[in-house]
Amino acid sequence: MAQAQDNKPLFILSGLMIIYALIASSDVLHPLMKYLHTAKTADLQVSMGFICGGVGILGALINSVRKPGTTIIDRFVLQPLPGILLILVMAMAIRWYVEPVVKLISQNLQPVLGFKIYKVLNLNYVILGLLAGVLITNTYGIPKFAAAGVKCARFVLKMGVIMLGARYSFAELAKLGSYSVVLVGTFVLGTVFLVLWLGKIFKQPKTMTGVLSAGMGVCGVSATVAVAPVVKAKSEEMAYTIGTILSFGIICMFVFPTVGHMAGMNPVQFGAWAGTGILNSAQVAAAALAFNAVDIKTLKVAEIFNITRVLFLPIIVLVLATWFGKQSGQKLTFKEVVIDKFPIFILGFLLLFAMSSMGLFSPPTHYKGKFIDYSYNERTQVTEKEWEALNGAVQNNTLQGLKPEQLAAVKDLVAQRQLAGNYESRADKKLFNKQGQERMFQLESILAAAKGKVLTLDKSVKGAIHHAIKQVHKKSKTVTTLTDCMIWFFAFGLIGLGMQITKKAIFQAGGWPLVMGIISGITKATLSFFVVLWLVKDVVLK
Amino acid sequence: MFTSLLLCTHGTAGAQYAEHLVFADLCVKNPDLNVSVLTIIDQDWQNMTGDDWLNSSKTHTKFLDHVEQQMQEENEEDWQRIKATYPAAEKAQFIGVVGKIEQTIAQIAAKNSNDLIVIGPYRESRRLFNLKMEKGLRSRIKPATLHPLLPCPLLIAPVCSITG
Repeated sequence: MAQAQDNKPLFILSGLMIIYALIASSDVLHPLMKYLHTAKTADLQVSMGFICGGVGILGALINSVRKPGTTIIDRFVLQPLPGILLILVMAMAIRWYVEPVVKLISQNLQPVLGFKIYKVLNLNYVILGLLAGVLITNTYGIPKFAAAGVKCARFVLKMGVIMLGARYSFAELAKLGSYSVVLVGTFVLGTVFLVLWLGKIFKQPKTMTGVLSAGMGVCGVSATVAVAPVVKAKSEEMAYTIGTILSFGIICMFVFPTVGHMAGMNPVQFGAWAGTGILNSAQVAAAALAFNAVDIKTLKVAEIFNITRVLFLPIIVLVLATWFGKQSGQKLTFKEVVIDKFPIFILGFLLLFAMSSMGLFSPPTHYKGKFIDYSYNERTQVTEKEWEALNGAVQNNTLQGLKPEQLAAVKDLVAQRQLAGNYESRADKKLFNKQGQERMFQLESILAAAKGKVLTLDKSVKGAIHHAIKQVHKKSKTVTTLTDCMIWFFAFGLIGLGMQITKKAIFQAGGWPLVMGIISGITKATLSFFVVLWLVKDVVLK
Repeated sequence: MFTSLLLCTHGTAGAQYAEHLVFADLCVKNPDLNVSVLTIIDQDWQNMTGDDWLNSSKTHTKFLDHVEQQMQEENEEDWQRIKATYPAAEKAQFIGVVGKIEQTIAQIAAKNSNDLIVIGPYRESRRLFNLKMEKGLRSRIKPATLHPLLPCPLLIAPVCSITG
């Protein structure tokens, strides 16, 4: 009985998920979902509610009848399950309710403010999730029952990156890899040496400049944590450096996507800039998804840059260890410095990339253009900007010369934000796909007419229709499933990581690390912005 | 009146007022006073890894071990400073503990059967704008958390001129 009491939060969370799934499956919530533009995800909401709730109840029952142990199942499944479920509930609530409500409020406030808040601050489910995590941990605190689950966020985020490996081609990896090695190499080493030089100018101890240079140059707090024991950093040097990096990173997370949109950066350019200029790797992923959460182009680029930075970490640790070793006379082994610091999850990423490249996830019939997926999914939608272009054209009646069936297809694209069959026919897959195919035929005929100069289309409208068609061409179901899971993994991971950012850690910022951090951080962000705009061109991304 | 006293210090300017009150005033007036000097290594160091997700748990452990070792060394230096400043401190018992600040103060006072706890006065933190760096984590004692846990009276040292 006492054990059942301990499992109360898990029973409650699981029960709530199942009750929600039951309500959602009865169509009672349909008007609300339609109002919030989330009706297309109704089936997914029901499935996730039943599956997660069911797993939760099962876990709670097992926890109730047996004593907690130290087996792998106990440590990695049963103990963290309440926390995992809490984050999942948050992720689902934010994605399907909070984000749409924030959008609606922003739209209603637009006449007063003159701009949409959610657009300026990029308040999509990723950023809102991270902020919700930060808010909870700094107000109520992480509930005791969820502590073990929150710690899983790190592992889940790594799993997300591993899954992302299945989405690259050799050509993309080679092209992005070469960009990232040049840019990251230049800016990592450049920033490390800039901070070391600033330290000399401001007469700061080498232990402090060592730890700050790694944090500002490589990958933020991760590099600080890895380098601090190597350079024997003092307590205040670690605290001030971590505070400075966290504060700078959180500001960058909001500023970068807004500046990227204002500068008209494409996904590759933004991914490259975020991957080079933002300090913390978690905030790189968040900024990439804030820039564009509909498809994963930006995330793909940003993560390659992230991975390259992480691969630079052992090199920087080695350089600093050698530099500091000379000062202190202490000797560090190659294993201590390089092998122990090597990020093993990158091997998983490469494994998935190799498996995908060998065609293990994509049977020949599923190659691009052969497999069409009209199912409702955020991934298959057009972007917000594209939707606005299409909606504007329909509202202002600027689509002249279109046949009625072509216009109907465009209007449906505006209504559903993606190429699909009728919502009412979604249960009948055959009919649903047929309707989708007819609409795609009409949209393709519009593009063909525009190409043949039979009709004139605005560039943004043409681009939006082209993207809508492209969005439903998928490589394979396996890759699609991996991508969907990956997006949830990232959302989950970033909420969990948000829960680990305390205001106490942020408020450690100050002193010389803040001065040197601001100088080097702004220099790195500004220079990389111009270099990326100058050097990085679009890369073909699937 | 008081026979056993717990002095909480982490070497900051505020804590030094408490040190001065105990060793330059109370111990002089009452040489038989039994003083324990408590320095806490803030458990919140565990949260200082922030949103780092790239490092392995081994690297995290190594970082926290380094923090603990570093803090112990810094505490040792601080205790030497107290002993060098106040002859009365030679007799004192010095304790270093890792834990939550408020809970640890209450636990150690209860364990040692202290009849008075002395802490430094509130001091405005200018950490953000001050180039001179302060040791350890910026941390405040939360009265609302500490007061219900107190096993004995709490004395907050007044701001005074420290002459050593």
